Amino acid sequence: MRHLLVLIALTSTALHAAVPSDHAERMERGLKLFERDISGLLKEHCLRCHGGEKVKSDFELATREDLLRGGSHGPAIVPFDAEASHLIELISHVKEPMMPDDKPRLSDEVIGKFKAWINDGAPYADPLIAGKKPKRDSSLVTDEDRQWWAFQPLKKVQAKSIDELLLKKANGMTFNPPADKATLARRVSLDLTGLPPDPNDASDFSDQIDKLLCSPAYGERWARHWLDVARYAESTGFEQDYDRPHAYHFRDFVIKALNMDMPYDQFVKWQLAGDEYEPDNPLALAATGFLGAGVFPSQITANEVERTRYDAMDDMLSTTSSAMLGLTVGCARCHDHKFDPFPTRDYYAMLATFTTTTRMNIDIHPDGKITSAITTKKKKGADTPPIEGATRMMICGEGYEPIVMHTQGGPFFDKTYVLRRGSTDMKEEEASQAFLQVLSKLGAENRWQWQPPKDAKYSGRRRTLSNWITDVENGAGALLARVIVNRLWQHHFGTGLVPTANDFGKTGALPTQPELLDWLAGQLIAHDWKLKPIHKMILSSRAWQQSSARDPKKEAADPDNGLFMRFVPQRLEAEAIRDSMLAVSGLLDDTMFGPGTRDENSKRRSIYFNIKRSQLIGSMVAFDQPEPLVSQGGRPTTTVAPQALILMNSPQAREWAEGLAKRVQSAGPVPEQITLAYRLCFNRDPNSNELTAGADFLKSGASLADYCQVVLGLNEFIYVN
Amino acid sequence: MKTPLYSRRQMLARTGGGFGMLALSSMLEAASNPFAPKVPMEVGGKAKSIIWIFANGGPSHVDTWDYKPELAKRDGQTLEGFDPKTGFFPGSVGGLMKSPFEFKQHGQSGTWCSDLFPKTAMHVDKMSFIHSCWTDSNNHSPALFKMNTGQTRMGYPCVGSWVNYGLGSESDSLPSFVVMSDPLNRGLPKGSAANWGAGFLPSIYQGTWLKPTGAPIDNLAVPASLTPQRQRSQLDLLAKLNRQALAGSPIESELEARIESFELAYRMQTSAPEAFDVQSEPEHIQQLYGVNEKHCGHFAAQCLTARRMVERGVRFIQIYSGGMENQLSWDGHKDILGNHRGFANESDQPVAALISDLEQRGLLDQTLVIWGGEFGRLPIAQKGTQPGRDHNPHAFTVWMCGGGVKGGYHHGETDEIGFKAATDKVSVHDLHATILAAAGLDHERLTFKFQGLDQKLTGVENPKVVKEIFA
Repeated sequence: MRHLLVLIALTSTALHAAVPSDHAERMERGLKLFERDISGLLKEHCLRCHGGEKVKSDFELATREDLLRGGSHGPAIVPFDAEASHLIELISHVKEPMMPDDKPRLSDEVIGKFKAWINDGAPYADPLIAGKKPKRDSSLVTDEDRQWWAFQPLKKVQAKSIDELLLKKANGMTFNPPADKATLARRVSLDLTGLPPDPNDASDFSDQIDKLLCSPAYGERWARHWLDVARYAESTGFEQDYDRPHAYHFRDFVIKALNMDMPYDQFVKWQLAGDEYEPDNPLALAATGFLGAGVFPSQITANEVERTRYDAMDDMLSTTSSAMLGLTVGCARCHDHKFDPFPTRDYYAMLATFTTTTRMNIDIHPDGKITSAITTKKKKGADTPPIEGATRMMICGEGYEPIVMHTQGGPFFDKTYVLRRGSTDMKEEEASQAFLQVLSKLGAENRWQWQPPKDAKYSGRRRTLSNWITDVENGAGALLARVIVNRLWQHHFGTGLVPTANDFGKTGALPTQPELLDWLAGQLIAHDWKLKPIHKMILSSRAWQQSSARDPKKEAADPDNGLFMRFVPQRLEAEAIRDSMLAVSGLLDDTMFGPGTRDENSKRRSIYFNIKRSQLIGSMVAFDQPEPLVSQGGRPTTTVAPQALILMNSPQAREWAEGLAKRVQSAGPVPEQITLAYRLCFNRDPNSNELTAGADFLKSGASLADYCQVVLGLNEFIYVN
Repeated sequence: MKTPLYSRRQMLARTGGGFGMLALSSMLEAASNPFAPKVPMEVGGKAKSIIWIFANGGPSHVDTWDYKPELAKRDGQTLEGFDPKTGFFPGSVGGLMKSPFEFKQHGQSGTWCSDLFPKTAMHVDKMSFIHSCWTDSNNHSPALFKMNTGQTRMGYPCVGSWVNYGLGSESDSLPSFVVMSDPLNRGLPKGSAANWGAGFLPSIYQGTWLKPTGAPIDNLAVPASLTPQRQRSQLDLLAKLNRQALAGSPIESELEARIESFELAYRMQTSAPEAFDVQSEPEHIQQLYGVNEKHCGHFAAQCLTARRMVERGVRFIQIYSGGMENQLSWDGHKDILGNHRGFANESDQPVAALISDLEQRGLLDQTLVIWGGEFGRLPIAQKGTQPGRDHNPHAFTVWMCGGGVKGGYHHGETDEIGFKAATDKVSVHDLHATILAAAGLDHERLTFKFQGLDQKLTGVENPKVVKEIFA
């Protein structure tokens, strides 16, 4: 971090040939050439696309400063050295893209003039466009950039409740009346645990919330939301899509952390640097699976080794910034971010955090000792055999033996460089660790810097990052808190206070309730970053408990429900649909943790499906479980025929129907059976139409299982009102 | 469509997506497709369906469609300045190697073809060849991803998904984008499903992979514990109860769509198996494709299925020729002669039949047929007892036929030995822009908002439609 200022100073240093001794003479000659020929030639052939009407390849040349800085292909010229100048290569048609674009090559005479002018230092008498000022150095972040709402400190909002803040903005509108007790019981149970309520539970609502928050099923439900954000899967992707059989520890970490209500700042710190915080604690080590959950090629040719490594580090950085900060920092890999103040240099400075971070398998011995478990595709039989009593775990950090693929290179490079256009062929200086300038108070670097003990296996860089990301006063902590309370809100209401949960930057949506967002973020911090109190606060609000009754006036005044003056029914996610069906059919196996399976006949909760990128679970994908490739901030809700086919024809659906039939069989005569099915599935009694329709169906010779299959297929089953 | 009631994405989610966007596509036609060019394009726009024969593993252009007499003259010479890292095996670099196949001119256009494809060569006057293609990677999966999604990295939407997103479906009972892979147990292309994934587009646009053996689509058959009649009465009860609960719901249209989705699923149970039933085709058609021939029957059935799907309104069909890599696909590292002879033999008659059959049914003009792989192969030998050729990202040939494409036309050239694309070079993004143009989609306007940006299949480097290939 102490290199931050040095880095900034370096940025304006373009590539320069040595200044020749006859500098003055040359510049004078060059100026003449500029006035006589070059100015006109640039205007005629180049300016239109590079600073005139358009700016292609991020390259402008109306001023000398712009020309020297260059664009996405790097600096355009090297003063005093035409042969080394990219512009000459392009206009001579030696390199692509040949310039001028789509026009014949300039004559040798004209090219000769350009060469002479560059060799004379490429002086400008005036800008090509009168009065034009050079574009500012975009690697510096200005005070104006810091004005964006998401980069501001948290506003101190005085309020007593969520409802107070919502009503304040509601233009006189008011909440819908509260939903009835049975609807609320079903809503809160599915919301917190992804399972339907016990129809016999008569406890009051506040107790229900507490009970559900203490249920292990809470972690199993809410961990899945985080796994979407963490692009979690248990295989490598790419060519062979090898299994990562020891990756599930990360999934178990998330469930455990949520169930124990681990403070969110610690949850974040451990995922980035659990090994640097508690090198002997298996749970802290498992947390680092976050960094390692992304794709990685299994076959890497010699000339791909370096690019692949940058891709892998980019995956760690992009996922970290999307998941934790709701920022698309990855866009700055090839060019300064087009919309947000993330210069390419900030990107590489952050990327340097992960220079020596790799995936590793470790064995945790019964006595607590930890050793490397060698895993390599390069040499058959070299893998460490399983060790009696030991747990093998995939982590992502430093200090143990990296997992090796079929590669013609090593696991990482000792240095990370700033790359032009993201290309490993265009290295600039070495990148030193630093963070987004726009979220760093100047002079605060020393607070984050963490020096590991002398004999440590790790560099301390990830822990340094985690210090910055959780620092509310000086670093990114305020944004970190906003992003997570927004995710909580999103999963309770179907839409976040910031509707684009993974993008708080300028291309994302603005917060519909900025004060409420900051108030909630403040509450989170005040509650030691514990999530359960925030859940309770939200679920106890009138806003969350109001009914979903239609009100055409409200719909017209607030079509997107940004005011939250009504509750919008939500479709359950793939996992909650399947888990609920298993639950009502009495077949659910509630065994927690451990390796998963890809067998759709499994009776365990869906979070325990093994996720292999090339063999995703059909019933999950059909109901919109996203592909685990990049961080996903939300899921679409589609309604497609394959979903219906699953419920009509899959062996599982039939089994669930038979299970439910068995449960309701003993309830008594047909009306009692129908009533019990409705209570189990919908937490309500059937109305007379429903009773008659069901009875008529059964009278016509259909089996009870046929009937139960229909009940499981009803819209009401997969929607929460 | 200027002020849509719903976003396109919402509409698709509501109307049932890839498996049945009929209602939607007619709505769109009425309101004009937002992705169609603002100004009518000078070229293209005729293709309603696309069949992409993906010669997996990287077929050698200098042994198929790119005749290089100079290579024969320089047989055995060292290729000066050759970077051994160009291919996959830096340690097996041999000298220049002439094609082991015989080349002859075909058709009015006098197109040179090797003797690998005697039947397909009869159609050269309907085909446009792009000889100057090049790509970014010398390795299968990144190159496959590049060819399918425009990116060498995993996880971006593929061409089929973009077309599906841009055009919607014309079939109310079949998926609008299907993928067929090798049915002879030789594996999937590297990276498998990521090659037909929807990436950041909604998952309804992903390709439906037809299982090569057994039932091609999951859950299509009524379970043994039910009968079709009982299922019908189940669905009647389901619809009745669902309808009763519909009135007054704030998400009525979503619930309505779900009622429809069950009816669509019910229809699919009969229409989809019918579409796959190539045995119902008359004898002479089966013979034309070679459905019952041992050497090519499996690929013939896939090509014939493709035609049946085109007739039923399926938009995008991709068929992979060959399995995973090495001897299992066109990846002729060893024995280029035997390798290419084998895979050509499997596919020549079916591909030729597909073109003839589409033409005789008047479908060729509205169906774009594409043939190509993920890269080409080097003009030098990969050393070994039976020499092969290593990967070549610098040059390969793709041909297109039908869908408004010119006949007997050759675009671009490689250098005199076929090492690198030399004139009128065509990048993968250019190729994609051209495919979209054939389908009437403007690659500049076919965008989807993701991570705050209007994402495009063709990236930001100003790709160009190869206009010259269109009639």
